[in-house]
Amino acid sequence: MKITINNQPLEVSEGITIMDACQSVGVKVPTLCYLKDVSNNASCGVCVVELKGAKSLLRSCITKITEGMEISTNTQRVMDARKMNVELLLANHPQDCLICDRNLNCELQNLTYMFGIAGKRFVRTRKQYLDKDESSLSLVRDPEKCILCGRCVAVCSEVQTVKAIDFAGRGIKSRISTYLDQGMGLVACTNCGQCALVCPTGAITEKSSISEVWEAIYNPEKVVLVQTAPAIRVGIGESMGMPSGSLVTGKMVAGLRRLGFSKVFDTNFAADLTIIEEGNELIKRIKTGGTLPMITSCSPGWIKFIEHFYPKSLSHLSTCKSPQQMFGAVAKTYYAEKTGIDPRNIVVVSIMPCTAKKYEAKRPEMDGAFKYWKDKLNLEENESFFDVDYVLTTRELSRMFKETGIDFAHLPEENFDSPLGESTGAAVIFGATGGVMEAALRTAYEVFTGKTLSSVDFKAVRGMEGIKEAEVDLDGTKIKVAVAHTLKNARIIMDEIEAGTSPYTFIEVMTCPGGCLGGGGQPIPTNAFIRQKRAESIYFEDANKGIRKSHENPEIAAIYTDFLKEPLGEKSHHLLHTTYTYRKRY
Amino acid sequence: MKSHELEILRQKNLHRIQPSTPMIMVGMGTCGIGNGADVVFNRLRKKIDENKLKCILKPVGCFGFCAEEPLVTVYQPGKPMLVYSKVDEKDVERIVEGLILGNIYRKKILCKIDVWDHLTAFFEYGKGYEQIPHWDEIPFYKGQKKIVLRNSGLINPESIEDYIAVGGYRALATVLGMQPEEVIEEVKISNLRGRGGAGYPTYKKWKIMSNKQADQKYIICNADEGDPGAYMNRNEIESDPHSLIEGMMIGAYAMGASEGIAYVRAEYPLAVKRLKIAIEQATEMGLMGENIFESGFSFKLEVVEGAGAFVCGEETALIKSIEGKAGRPTPRPPYPADTGLYRKPTNINNVETWCNIPVIFEKGGKWFTETGTEKSPGTKVFSLVGKIKNTGLVELPLGSTLNQFIFEIGEGTGTNKRVKAVQTGGPSGGCIPVELFSTPVDYESLTELGAIMGSGGMVVMDQDNCMVDVARYFLEFSSSESCGKCTPCREGLAQALAILTKITKGQGTYNDLTTLELLSTTIKDTSICGLGQTAPNPILTTLRYFRHEYEEHIQEKRCQAGVCDSLFMALCENSCPMHMNIPGYIELIKEDRIEEAFELTLRDNPIPGTIGRICHFHCQMRCRREQLDEPVSQGEIHRYLADTMYKLGKENEIYNKLIKEKLKSTGKQIAIVGAGPAGLTAAYYLVRLGHKVVVYDSFSEAGGVVRFGIPQYRLPKSVLQKEVEFIKKLGVQFVFNKRLGDNLDFNQLTKENDAVYLAIGAWKEIGMNIPGDHAKGVFSGTEFLKELALGKKPKLGEKVVIIGAGNVAIDAARSIWRLGKEVTVVYRREKCDMPANKIEIVESEAEKINYRFLSAPSEILTDKSGKVTGLKIEVMKCGGIDISGRRKPVPTGKFEEIECDSIILAVGERVDAGYLAKDGLEVTKDGRMIINPFTFETSIHKVYAGGDAVTGPSTAAEAMGMARKAAESIDFILINEKRFHRLFRDFEYKNAIPTNVKKSPRNVGYKLAVGERVGNFHEVDGGFTGEQAHNEVNRCLRCDVKC
Repeated sequence: MKITINNQPLEVSEGITIMDACQSVGVKVPTLCYLKDVSNNASCGVCVVELKGAKSLLRSCITKITEGMEISTNTQRVMDARKMNVELLLANHPQDCLICDRNLNCELQNLTYMFGIAGKRFVRTRKQYLDKDESSLSLVRDPEKCILCGRCVAVCSEVQTVKAIDFAGRGIKSRISTYLDQGMGLVACTNCGQCALVCPTGAITEKSSISEVWEAIYNPEKVVLVQTAPAIRVGIGESMGMPSGSLVTGKMVAGLRRLGFSKVFDTNFAADLTIIEEGNELIKRIKTGGTLPMITSCSPGWIKFIEHFYPKSLSHLSTCKSPQQMFGAVAKTYYAEKTGIDPRNIVVVSIMPCTAKKYEAKRPEMDGAFKYWKDKLNLEENESFFDVDYVLTTRELSRMFKETGIDFAHLPEENFDSPLGESTGAAVIFGATGGVMEAALRTAYEVFTGKTLSSVDFKAVRGMEGIKEAEVDLDGTKIKVAVAHTLKNARIIMDEIEAGTSPYTFIEVMTCPGGCLGGGGQPIPTNAFIRQKRAESIYFEDANKGIRKSHENPEIAAIYTDFLKEPLGEKSHHLLHTTYTYRKRY
Repeated sequence: MKSHELEILRQKNLHRIQPSTPMIMVGMGTCGIGNGADVVFNRLRKKIDENKLKCILKPVGCFGFCAEEPLVTVYQPGKPMLVYSKVDEKDVERIVEGLILGNIYRKKILCKIDVWDHLTAFFEYGKGYEQIPHWDEIPFYKGQKKIVLRNSGLINPESIEDYIAVGGYRALATVLGMQPEEVIEEVKISNLRGRGGAGYPTYKKWKIMSNKQADQKYIICNADEGDPGAYMNRNEIESDPHSLIEGMMIGAYAMGASEGIAYVRAEYPLAVKRLKIAIEQATEMGLMGENIFESGFSFKLEVVEGAGAFVCGEETALIKSIEGKAGRPTPRPPYPADTGLYRKPTNINNVETWCNIPVIFEKGGKWFTETGTEKSPGTKVFSLVGKIKNTGLVELPLGSTLNQFIFEIGEGTGTNKRVKAVQTGGPSGGCIPVELFSTPVDYESLTELGAIMGSGGMVVMDQDNCMVDVARYFLEFSSSESCGKCTPCREGLAQALAILTKITKGQGTYNDLTTLELLSTTIKDTSICGLGQTAPNPILTTLRYFRHEYEEHIQEKRCQAGVCDSLFMALCENSCPMHMNIPGYIELIKEDRIEEAFELTLRDNPIPGTIGRICHFHCQMRCRREQLDEPVSQGEIHRYLADTMYKLGKENEIYNKLIKEKLKSTGKQIAIVGAGPAGLTAAYYLVRLGHKVVVYDSFSEAGGVVRFGIPQYRLPKSVLQKEVEFIKKLGVQFVFNKRLGDNLDFNQLTKENDAVYLAIGAWKEIGMNIPGDHAKGVFSGTEFLKELALGKKPKLGEKVVIIGAGNVAIDAARSIWRLGKEVTVVYRREKCDMPANKIEIVESEAEKINYRFLSAPSEILTDKSGKVTGLKIEVMKCGGIDISGRRKPVPTGKFEEIECDSIILAVGERVDAGYLAKDGLEVTKDGRMIINPFTFETSIHKVYAGGDAVTGPSTAAEAMGMARKAAESIDFILINEKRFHRLFRDFEYKNAIPTNVKKSPRNVGYKLAVGERVGNFHEVDGGFTGEQAHNEVNRCLRCDVKC
């Protein structure tokens, strides 16, 4: 189709929007509400352009190109309108950027600067000051900072089909709220944090634990262990100013040491452990006629989702704890015993790409280590401790790095500490959608068949497709497996299961788009392009690992020999497996 | 049912419409019931039963004239139907008695209906009752054409048999025998446009839908009528629900839809109920459901009650609401025809659009185009509300002018207040000023004015409406009804409201107006849906047509209409052109602090004794006491105060106080031309501010029109003289017998003075321009009064005719009567339309002055010598209400002659400042000076003007109010410092609201007996006694006291 943009003739393909067309010729159209693949709410009124012959300005984000359009993006009418709409949003937006979590990474702030808005033309019109919602263990919502763009609502309802939040009220009383204003902690919110990831301002952020972590580090009596999830090493570089998807495992380890953590361990170790337990659980279920399909349980957002929305199907979940929780449990038992450190003095900090992990760590059943020690050390109930003490997101870690003035890009590459630092390629791919499946298949195949895989790459389960499926031949026993990421896709899988039509034996579900690398705790922005970059790094790391199958990890072998004895054994049962809770939707 | 069975059924039910027994119909719409129709109905029922009368009693819908509800229509076979208005229980007795006795109850008959064209049927009821007007002869119905409302008020809306009897469902039967394309073609021929407001051609909408292929299509009736003051759709459904259903079914057939939904405001319970009954009846009869008329066409209709949000009238939000979601609009495209209800192709039309459909098929599309304009055929129903006498539902052909709606049908405000504007289209529409009421009401013309047709709300506003407040009111509505989705609407409207509120509180700036305009443009330009795109219209139109009101709020911190209550003390104070602290002096008198009361008055008004006698008493026109009994006589109290002080000789004390506190000399010299009320007032303030002031006047004494236009029996010379003396004592110099352009040189004045204030009044008599107007014996009213004031004996004959009815005419008439001559006042309008002060009219009548109303002078008759012998007048009759709110005099062609030997022309005066134009002064076409409304400066630097010379003939108080503001402005410009407030001081007094207020008439002062007035010019009005004054001040409700 022939059109012109700012008098420049242009040929574009049918079906694209004005915004896309502009973007394609390097004309950036600002917007505060539109987000590719997430929101086309068309609410902010900033992306307007002028179309010759049209009565009013058009929203470029949703208006499709038609033949012969003559579009202008920088007439006075357009610029005045854009500026006015940003100014209108500023009228009810707190101007405390300096102390905002999103300072220097705020889309509203950027546009304010870009449009040269110098003063405050309008007064506050919102009558009531809206309280912060701090009811969630993972997220904090500050409705005062909300510009009602609707991205969070869109991501929650369209991408995750959770619908924990929606618009309430009308006119100037409009706000985002939860069912009966109960707060995100008290409704069917999965804590996935995708809302925080898409928020253009600081209206939704993670609930920070930075100060508690500093306090632990500064406490000489405490031994502070840190574990890093697989997706951190491909995300943290971005927020330290490096290109998207930079793989910075060694620098990350070095940086964490500089921050003062006693030992820098890897969640990947626990991921390998998970594979052993989960692989054996799958084999056992197949062999003994247990509940199938079995579904992975590493993603805490997904766990809460199934507890709320498909509580009848909880038996399909693997009983394995997530790697984070397995790590905590063995750190405060196996590692404590091994080093002779009083488990009460061990503080386990997780660096996670995930906000739901903050909630997971505080689930009441996550105190395996305390139960382990209770009788041995004669502990009282009120001395109880969680397996994992604090969870920081990738974003929070980057703030700690910045806070301490660490020159991240120039850090040397260092290695994880032992014994909980060794891991395999199978563990690192936990960070991408399909990774847990692939890792599990690498182990399950060999354990089940007793044969060695010719190729460890199960490419059918890789990639950004919403639901991927594959058929695996376990030496004659053919099983169908599926991988789903985002809860919208999980819902499709679950509906099949509840309808009794699911063809699968084993299913991996990850809450966030692209898996953990697209988690709600990752650097902002996170989009399809960036997720792709991070995934590439993950698979690069896997390909370059010496050991790529979990059951070949020598430290895993050691922990079974020295401590756990056998997969699905007595100790595993208490420390590495868990139970789930029936939760209501309202 | 088969289609021929419908006709059989119709024949069988004809008796329901025209029975062989008497029939009484009661208007039972929401408007009727609200006015007590249900009580009337029950009473009728009881009465009929008690008397075992063979009489049908039937509830019907609304016949349109809501102001006259409850309407009761009585039919006796063979006679026209009689429509009674405002029927109460007492009338019921009489109406039924009349039926028993075979005569008619004559009171409260509004009109008769001898024939009625339902368009789908025609009934002749009978002849008779010659003296009773036909329904379409009374102003409210005159010119109305009932297409949509064809059955309203004449059939029982809860009876499908009634509807069938008037030809209902016949169009459907016809349509079902046609091809869908033919149906759409017929709608195309009719050129019907959507009645929801946007006016999109209905056939186009239908065509798009019919071309869509889908397993399921929907049609929707939008009856979510949410505009404040609009209730057309409610009454249409309540009165004739089957018309809507039939229209929808025809549309459904044409578009291939099998399901329909009527989305009706939940606030319309009666409409919902009646529509549901109608659906049930139609289904039961097989007119809805499967295989209708054995055509294979099936249709079902469901009623969905609205969610109580204005935005749900927007089609995409409406669809969301039906789906059970929040009513938030989505951008179009995609249009509902592509992705509508449950993502299926959907057509949405307004109630009225649907209601027009059956008639189009009964009468033909061509027939439909015969009404209305070429671009907008047919009629439109409007609900005429607000400051209007005849409230109701009005159906007029499109293209009728606003004048027809508001003055002819609505008959103006029905009070002495003037219509100022009309708001069409509710909160999405605009305010159209009365000057543009000749605009035809059609989609394009209204849009051009910045308003919209909307769904048909017409809210009339009068002079007591503040247009800033009107804009604020509508913005408050649309801002709170905004769904909150998109930024410009949610945030922008709230900001606009904040700015408007600020202006109504007197805190606005000119910058705010610029911001408002920019804001409005952005909101219109960038909102997603119709709500936001049109919500700024009230702002933009009021800014366009009533900008001066905004400026007045900003610049002067005044709300002339007396609505924005932060900007005034009390309505009397606000109405007073001088803004005298009326509650203040009233309270001080109450507290027996008469000297202080006088001082307070004097600071606001240098000539209290004079004004207290001759003022128009603007204050009394807006007194809140009027809501209880009669306004307080603030003016008479004012006069009492001055008279009492003068009688006690205490005025000098206060005078000296004011003289002593004169500000020290500024060295500036100001010339004032004209020693009338404006000139005197300006001089009084300017001299107290320390300027040297010289007043020039063409007369030999000060006072201007008050001295030389008002006879002594109203204003004794001595009172004015005393007050002028005080101004002299303050240091003002007077130079008399100096006429500008004659022996007073304008250029020299400007050269020699720091400022010149022109207050030369309006003295030039407007001629009559009829044959003989220059005959011997024809005099000018002002000239006559001037000569009289100068003590001359005017050379009049014995029989004098005065043409005109203003104060000059009445003053001349009463003066001439005192000279012992026979006087006749000739006026072309009615008595109630006379512009003279009411009290003057009353007194002139007491003096037995002859009046000839509705008499338009057509020729002055003379003898051969050219001397007046009489006046030929044309007898007029009353026409409709005109733009001035009065009835138009309409010539009858009948002429009469009044014998007389002298004629005084007093039809009005005008300003004659044209001669100053040569000195560079800008003047209007009719000779008035043009000034900056806030600085009072003319087009010539340091030359200011005010009073009648600027406004044309107005009241003394208005001239003085202007002069006071001009003095403030002149002083500020000369000294560049705000000093005017120094001339005033605060008075402490009690601020208590009287409790236990009882009705009490206003006090009336002693008046000279009529017999004692002949042959002299003694003052007629004696003023209040002390007791009367005290009684009167106690009548004040102190509405200025704010909590």
